[in-house]
Amino acid sequence: MVSYTAGVAVDKRPAKAGRFSRLFFAGNGAGYMFLLPWLIGFLGLTLGPALASLYLSFTNYDLLQSPQFVGAANYVHMATADAKFAAAMKVTFIYVILSVPLKLAFALALAMAFNRGIKGLPVYRAIFYLPSLLGGSVAIAVLWRQLFAADGLVNSVLWLFGIDGPSWISNPNYSLYTLVVLSVWQFGSPMIIFLAGLRQIPQDMYEAASMDGASKARQFFRITLPLLTPVIFFNFVIQTIDAFKAFTPSFIISAGTGGPINSTLFYTLYLYQEAFGFFRMGYASALAWVLVLIIAVFTAFSFLSARYWVHYDD
Amino acid sequence: MTDAAHTAAPGDAPERSVLHSILIHATLIGVSFLMLYPLLWMVSGSVRPADDIFGGQTSLIPSQVTLQAYKTGWFGLQVSFGTFFLNSLIISVLATIGNVLAASVTAYAFARLEFFGKNFWFALMLGTLMLPYHVTLIPQYVLFLKMDWVNTWLPLVVPKFFAVDAFFIFLMVQFFRGIPRELDEAAMMDGCSAWRIYWKIILPLSLPVLATAAIFSFIWTWEDFFGPLIYLGDIHTYTVQIGLRSLIDSSGTSDWGALFAMSVLSLIPIFLLFLFFQRLLIEGIATTGMKR
Amino acid sequence: MKGYSVSRRALLKAGTGVAAASLLGLKSVSAQEKSIRVFWWGSQERADRTNRAVDAYKKANAGIDAKTEFAGWSDYWPRLATRVAGRNAPDLIQMDYRYMFEYARRGAIVPLDQYLGNALKIEDFGKANLESCSVDGKLFGINLGVNSSCAVYDMSAWEQAGVEPMTFGTNWDEFASKCAAFAKGNKRRRFYATMDASGHEPAFELWLVQNGKVLYTEDGKLGFDEKDAGNWFKYWADLRKAGGCVPADVQALDKSTLDTTMLTLGHAATVFPHSNQFVGLQQLNKAKLDITAFPVTKGGKPGQYLKPSQMWSIASDSKLPEVAAKLANFTVAEPEGTKILGVERGVPASSAVREQLAPDLDDVSKKVVDYIGKLGPYTAKLPPSPPKGAGEVFTVLERVSQEVGFGTSPEEGGKKFVTEAQTILKRG
Repeated sequence: MVSYTAGVAVDKRPAKAGRFSRLFFAGNGAGYMFLLPWLIGFLGLTLGPALASLYLSFTNYDLLQSPQFVGAANYVHMATADAKFAAAMKVTFIYVILSVPLKLAFALALAMAFNRGIKGLPVYRAIFYLPSLLGGSVAIAVLWRQLFAADGLVNSVLWLFGIDGPSWISNPNYSLYTLVVLSVWQFGSPMIIFLAGLRQIPQDMYEAASMDGASKARQFFRITLPLLTPVIFFNFVIQTIDAFKAFTPSFIISAGTGGPINSTLFYTLYLYQEAFGFFRMGYASALAWVLVLIIAVFTAFSFLSARYWVHYDD
Repeated sequence: MTDAAHTAAPGDAPERSVLHSILIHATLIGVSFLMLYPLLWMVSGSVRPADDIFGGQTSLIPSQVTLQAYKTGWFGLQVSFGTFFLNSLIISVLATIGNVLAASVTAYAFARLEFFGKNFWFALMLGTLMLPYHVTLIPQYVLFLKMDWVNTWLPLVVPKFFAVDAFFIFLMVQFFRGIPRELDEAAMMDGCSAWRIYWKIILPLSLPVLATAAIFSFIWTWEDFFGPLIYLGDIHTYTVQIGLRSLIDSSGTSDWGALFAMSVLSLIPIFLLFLFFQRLLIEGIATTGMKR
Repeated sequence: MKGYSVSRRALLKAGTGVAAASLLGLKSVSAQEKSIRVFWWGSQERADRTNRAVDAYKKANAGIDAKTEFAGWSDYWPRLATRVAGRNAPDLIQMDYRYMFEYARRGAIVPLDQYLGNALKIEDFGKANLESCSVDGKLFGINLGVNSSCAVYDMSAWEQAGVEPMTFGTNWDEFASKCAAFAKGNKRRRFYATMDASGHEPAFELWLVQNGKVLYTEDGKLGFDEKDAGNWFKYWADLRKAGGCVPADVQALDKSTLDTTMLTLGHAATVFPHSNQFVGLQQLNKAKLDITAFPVTKGGKPGQYLKPSQMWSIASDSKLPEVAAKLANFTVAEPEGTKILGVERGVPASSAVREQLAPDLDDVSKKVVDYIGKLGPYTAKLPPSPPKGAGEVFTVLERVSQEVGFGTSPEEGGKKFVTEAQTILKRG
């Protein structure tokens, strides 16, 4: 841990009001000076392009000819006539609902396993982090087929028990779950964040609990879990947003089709298909804005719910 | 597998019995093996003879070991992978510098300075976390094109110097808030400028979080394929990820052995980075306190 | 030794200079040079050949510069689309038959008729061939290779199953009974006589034409009805039931790439690719492969047609379209260029070029050339060009065929496909 006061004299003189107001006005200028790089980037690279796409969402734009204003037609089509949109929503929600809790549970379990004094721990941790380093590598497509195709490893193992398994990855009943497995497999970042969180829990709390004869399970539910809620909350929000935005797993494994039978059609993959496959930039922009809305609503609810289950110790 | 073998060294934390520690290691090695099977298969695929890779080959042990794929992969495109690695390294380093500098400056403003509209901007900053990049892709492309930046590294590097990645700002704001205010208030009383406080007090105390941001930033830039795909056309400017994708072409024949070999190589730098700096990474996050 | 190390250092320095220049966004501009950009998809093999051809052209034509770029198929289209959207399209673009219609109708590529006879000396490609590169009567593409759908099979697998493989003229019913017989004789696990081609649009189109229908009519409507589609799905459903073709979940592993064909994955002895893919397929498969035509319909019409495997098109943003046309001409009609490209992109459209290349062909390439030569009696006139939205209909056929494979009835599938296809065509 870092000691904040190391080498710096701490001044505890009470501040006078007059000085503070002067500092405030001085700070106003300084504040914007420090904010300037971000402000330029935000206005030029994020807000500008985002507003442009908001406008495009009310147009027909095929990339080649200039956009034609069509009012809310894109949004209306989405809500009333687009079966693929509905399929993509369903797939994405199932993916979010399954992958986020599983990934977090897995990450937490391993973080706890790694939070003790075992020799060679850094090596294990690095090994377990490896899958998340694979990111959007094209090799994943082959690796996943190797595991979950008709003659993949999973079925080879099942065959030993006399079970003739389906081709998981290409069967619409199971294919989405292989992507959930992929997401859980890449649990590295939340694990690291959990490890950091576990480290903040004072060891003496466990010692005291042990003295009182509390079982390990009781310690977990009474100490670890409650004290970890801020970290769980952080991971939950970040991972959920990421899961809503997930693109590469399906893009790579289904080769951009979202198949079989739209069973892995992630929302962003559908958006991508509409934009670059069928040249419907306007419609794709509308899809993007609906996604922004969904994520915003979700985030708002998360923060509202936080006050009921997240324990901040101050 | 060899990794696992040498990490299972005898000797352990004193309070545990030998049997207990063997059990723990055995479990960890078992789970590691399961988790790593796909990666091990990739490594084994990289040393197999080309026609040994497909057709339901689930065994990890190659019929014959050859490093041919590393050679054909490295020189598989008209420009060698050495160039791609160098490009990736330069882009990742520059992007990392940009992210760390810009995010820390911005985070300092949000965490420490008072100015009109601060909460408004802060909310907008958090809002950008939610934006899928597809939203801004085309307008951004047109913008960079007008600036004549397409086919250069600028679109991949310059935006980082304008703190476009809100995740890092958020992380640093959390951290800076944890630094006792007394420190900079005292410095202010002594007439220190905001800039000096940032540079002399905040930054030196924030090494863990800066390291965290740097490591994540490096890894994420290294892995990125969509940005380079859209912006880099000249093969001399390709990153490793684009090089990897160019090895595979579905309308022609694909040399999967070469792809696996180069994928293995592309993982090594970030794996080592993680291995050696994970302590800093975890510490950096731990000290942010993860509070609102 | 020393001289070498110095020149190496100089080279390195030059290299760093280039890197620094590209980093800073500087581009070397020389005023006199006419510079164009060329963009294609494909493997490194194709890139090497194309670059060599471009270099040869530059050498022969001082003052012309051409910068090349290539990508894999799936990365090619988003990159091209962003370039075109940014009014930054490469001058000479490798085009695909289906995308040609999309790009031409949106005005992203230019008609080439004005260059015929001057910059483009491709009259000997023949009328049918030029038509296959045209949209609404105007030439938009320069054929880089003649292509047709075909059947490719593993010779020894059929032999081991004790069944005579299909050949030119085998009809659909005979094919089905061959596949059923194959299932009886076969001993390999998860291995079948053929892929399931029910979701494969070229196969469906060919079958329609054999039965006197078309996929799309001249006015851009569907040229078949629910019953036709239902019959098609039923043929394959029956074959599936008889164990003649791969089950649906195995077929779904096929991502329309060579390394995921049922043949390469070791699940089927017969697949239905395009003829230009034969060479690649053979490279990926240990077993010896042979190429033949699609099954025919008894008493029906010929259904195959020749179409370009790839074409060169010229972007409407190009400032030097004539230079681009000349370079394209060099690669398809001038002996120096055609020799470098060989048959890597398919069988050359010009008979003169075919004759020029014939002596150097290896056995595998020769089979493809022979196949195209023998196809005459089985080819029909080029069907009407696909309307806007055809690309999306293609994906719907694949999806509905999968739904039938996983349990929907063929009749239901036929209805569904027609309804959805019509909705898409209406939307455009």
